[in-house]
Amino acid sequence: MFFDVPWNVVVLQLFFGLALGSIFVLLASGLSIIYGLLDVVNFAHGTFAMLGAYAVFLAVSLSGSFGVGILSAVVIVGLVGGLTEYLLLKPLYGKDPLLPLLLTFGLSIAIPDLIKIIFGLIGKPVNYPQAFSGATILGPLILPNYRLFIIFFTLAIMISLWLFLKKSDLGMILRASTRDSGMVQILGVNVSRIWTIGFAIGIGLAALGGAISAPMMAATPDMGVDMTMVAFVVTVVGGLGSLGGAIVGGLFIGVVVAITSFIAGEYATVSMYFCMAIILLIRPRGLFGEIGRE
Amino acid sequence: MFLKTEKVSKYFGGLKAVDQVDFNLKKGQLKSIIGPNGAGKTTLFNLIAGVYLPTHGKVFFKERDITRFPLHQVSHLGITKTYQITHIFPSLTVFENIRIAAQSRETSFNFWKTTYSLREVNQRALNILEQVELIEKRNWFAATLSHGERRYLEIGIALATQPEVLLLDEPTAGMSCAETNLCAELIQKLNQEIQLSVVLVEHDMSVVMGISEEILVLNEGRALAEGTPQQVSDNEEVQRVYLGEG
Amino acid sequence: MEGRETERKAELEKMLQDTEPKPKTTIVWGTGLVLLVLPFIISAPLATEILIWGIFGLGFNLLLGYTGVLSFGHAAYFGLGAYSCGLALRYWQASIWTGLLLGIVSSMILACFIGALAIRKRGVYFAMISLAFGQMLYFLALSPLKQITRGEDGLTHIPMLQILSISLNRPRPLYYFVMVITVLMLYLTWRILQSPFGKLLQAFRENEERAKACGFNTTRVKFLSLVLSALYGGLAGALNTIYLGYVPLSTLFWLTSGTMVMMTILGGKGTFLGPLIGAGVFLFLQNTISLLTPRWELFVGAIFVFIILLFPAGIMGTLRDKYTSYRMVKLKKQIESSGDSI
Repeated sequence: MFFDVPWNVVVLQLFFGLALGSIFVLLASGLSIIYGLLDVVNFAHGTFAMLGAYAVFLAVSLSGSFGVGILSAVVIVGLVGGLTEYLLLKPLYGKDPLLPLLLTFGLSIAIPDLIKIIFGLIGKPVNYPQAFSGATILGPLILPNYRLFIIFFTLAIMISLWLFLKKSDLGMILRASTRDSGMVQILGVNVSRIWTIGFAIGIGLAALGGAISAPMMAATPDMGVDMTMVAFVVTVVGGLGSLGGAIVGGLFIGVVVAITSFIAGEYATVSMYFCMAIILLIRPRGLFGEIGRE
Repeated sequence: MFLKTEKVSKYFGGLKAVDQVDFNLKKGQLKSIIGPNGAGKTTLFNLIAGVYLPTHGKVFFKERDITRFPLHQVSHLGITKTYQITHIFPSLTVFENIRIAAQSRETSFNFWKTTYSLREVNQRALNILEQVELIEKRNWFAATLSHGERRYLEIGIALATQPEVLLLDEPTAGMSCAETNLCAELIQKLNQEIQLSVVLVEHDMSVVMGISEEILVLNEGRALAEGTPQQVSDNEEVQRVYLGEG
Repeated sequence: MEGRETERKAELEKMLQDTEPKPKTTIVWGTGLVLLVLPFIISAPLATEILIWGIFGLGFNLLLGYTGVLSFGHAAYFGLGAYSCGLALRYWQASIWTGLLLGIVSSMILACFIGALAIRKRGVYFAMISLAFGQMLYFLALSPLKQITRGEDGLTHIPMLQILSISLNRPRPLYYFVMVITVLMLYLTWRILQSPFGKLLQAFRENEERAKACGFNTTRVKFLSLVLSALYGGLAGALNTIYLGYVPLSTLFWLTSGTMVMMTILGGKGTFLGPLIGAGVFLFLQNTISLLTPRWELFVGAIFVFIILLFPAGIMGTLRDKYTSYRMVKLKKQIESSGDSI
């Protein structure tokens, strides 16, 4: 079957896969940070991504600038995330570990309905920013500019994130807090605030993923759960608590889904769950995961 | 040798919690393990019981290599441990706590019979309740017991699994003087009347010296000295490291 | 010596008697009464739905409330049971009992697969993996297997059934049929909870580590619990097919799983009647709010968040906790007043 298809179509599908995968990477890295830091699986992760998409829609309608749109999406939704952690999740720490998951689940049910009341049931389209419309032509390859943007933008974000975590003071504290909050507390750090900040960063990444995908997929109220599921599948495949795993996993799943939707469209979504099942069978901790976190 | 470890070690990254310890227990013996905090006593217990997998070394029970056996399997072989921090079933009644442990020796994947028709199991539970003197409080919820009573319940749960070797992790922790003496008597009674081999980790020296046949001293994960209570208390190094402080 | 022996045995017998919990007759008769008259208080279809979700919940509660395992993908069992039954009824002209049986068996087999892959995982991890499997089944039914499941349209044209020549396409007879099954399942659940396995589940939920130290194979316990809960799920799904007369795709949707979770928590996980109460309150709320606004999910979601924060034990759970402290106070007084006699 492959040999009937001209190679430039295959490369194009790979390219689409990388673009899709980049969005997955943003979503998964946020989820991974939250899980690594707080031991909380954020069921509402996709919901916040959805809020990011709506924020970009609002900001673009008001300001006309996509850049402002993305920035405000990340900042506003990130703040909302921090507030959520502070008001709703903090009271649950130390109790049954299933409670935070259940609470975020409740949010994932309530918030989309709220959006439906405010914005209506039909999705809101977001136009491609002028700067990235059109395509770049490389020989027989026609690469849409916006997807090029997604790939490079995500790369930049991931590098910044890595630098932040490895080099900055706050980043080091965040990394230390995941292992041994007790120790960090002794050193005088306000762990509670770190957790809020960490959660906000994770949500910010989710919002970014949602915001960037808005021009491609439009902002719809119910897009949340599918995004949460993708983030989770990628995290299982890449390995819990591993940023490298989120990146490799995200890109891998993106490519798998893109290629599957090209070959056998109806199996597209199923394919990512299938990957998850395989990983569970042959390497339960994920590609880069550590034993014991799962 | 009934129970023994051969150069067993457990390293957590750079920390050598237990380092090449040889531990020997004869059948029917009452042996204590002592050492300062952090010496590796509980870790040694966990290695024997199957909670941890040794980094190096082996564990043998009745000449059989049980090094890689997990916790529940080791329990079935006849080695049961208690916990340093009380680890009971708080919302169940005292009777239920012991009964469920006794039940472990029968098959539990029985959905239809009522538990109250398992006569033997229930009798055994009641007998043990008597042994640990909790028979009057059998209908109380375990969470409502006093600290000392909980430590007794802890022992009772372990006894219910019909062990051949009992690993007691600081059973008298937090007990008053009187309670401690009674507990020591109970342990000695169990060892002598039903030939239960006991390994005791304890901080209370009066208990250790009073009832142990043999003592192993650990320090920083390594074996420091071994012998009868008299030999150990005479040992200069032990005195320096451990007993000398008090 | 002999006399002392028999005396001792009798004493122990008596002690065993007083440790054995008995169902409170008022609750048993009360529940029975409520079940009998329910279709006269609220509509028969609503009552039937409550019972179906109640059965689903009984099994789910065994897994979550007693064993302590959260599955976010239980719709897989409900949906598979529904589709198996539907297919059997439509294409094989199967009897109602075959349909139900098929629903149960297919769900249990699915549970074996999922359990084998994932049951060793930590709580939150397993919860999400089970959801992922549920979603996988949903998307499979949506597109690739459209030939069989009819995708979004759902499986229709399921023939009307009869029990003892009473047609089940009228609401009241249907309700009483489901009610009989509900009573059976309640009894089964009671027997399971009273059995050695049931007691093990309760200890397990309290302290899994200690149960393991006593010698119980915890993985096997969780696995069996999962398969058992799938039995109820499959049965509920099959009953749902009979009730609706068709199989909607939504039976596999994650919201179905989520609804089950909410109902169980609301009613009180780890309590016996919690699932039924939870189903009743939830469906009642949903129905009432839907009359006012189609945005019932907002209110239900918000209420759920509220419950998690303030009353995580649910309705029956909070009641039970109050009753337990009351009973402990009574016991203490009893011991104090009777001195040291047994």
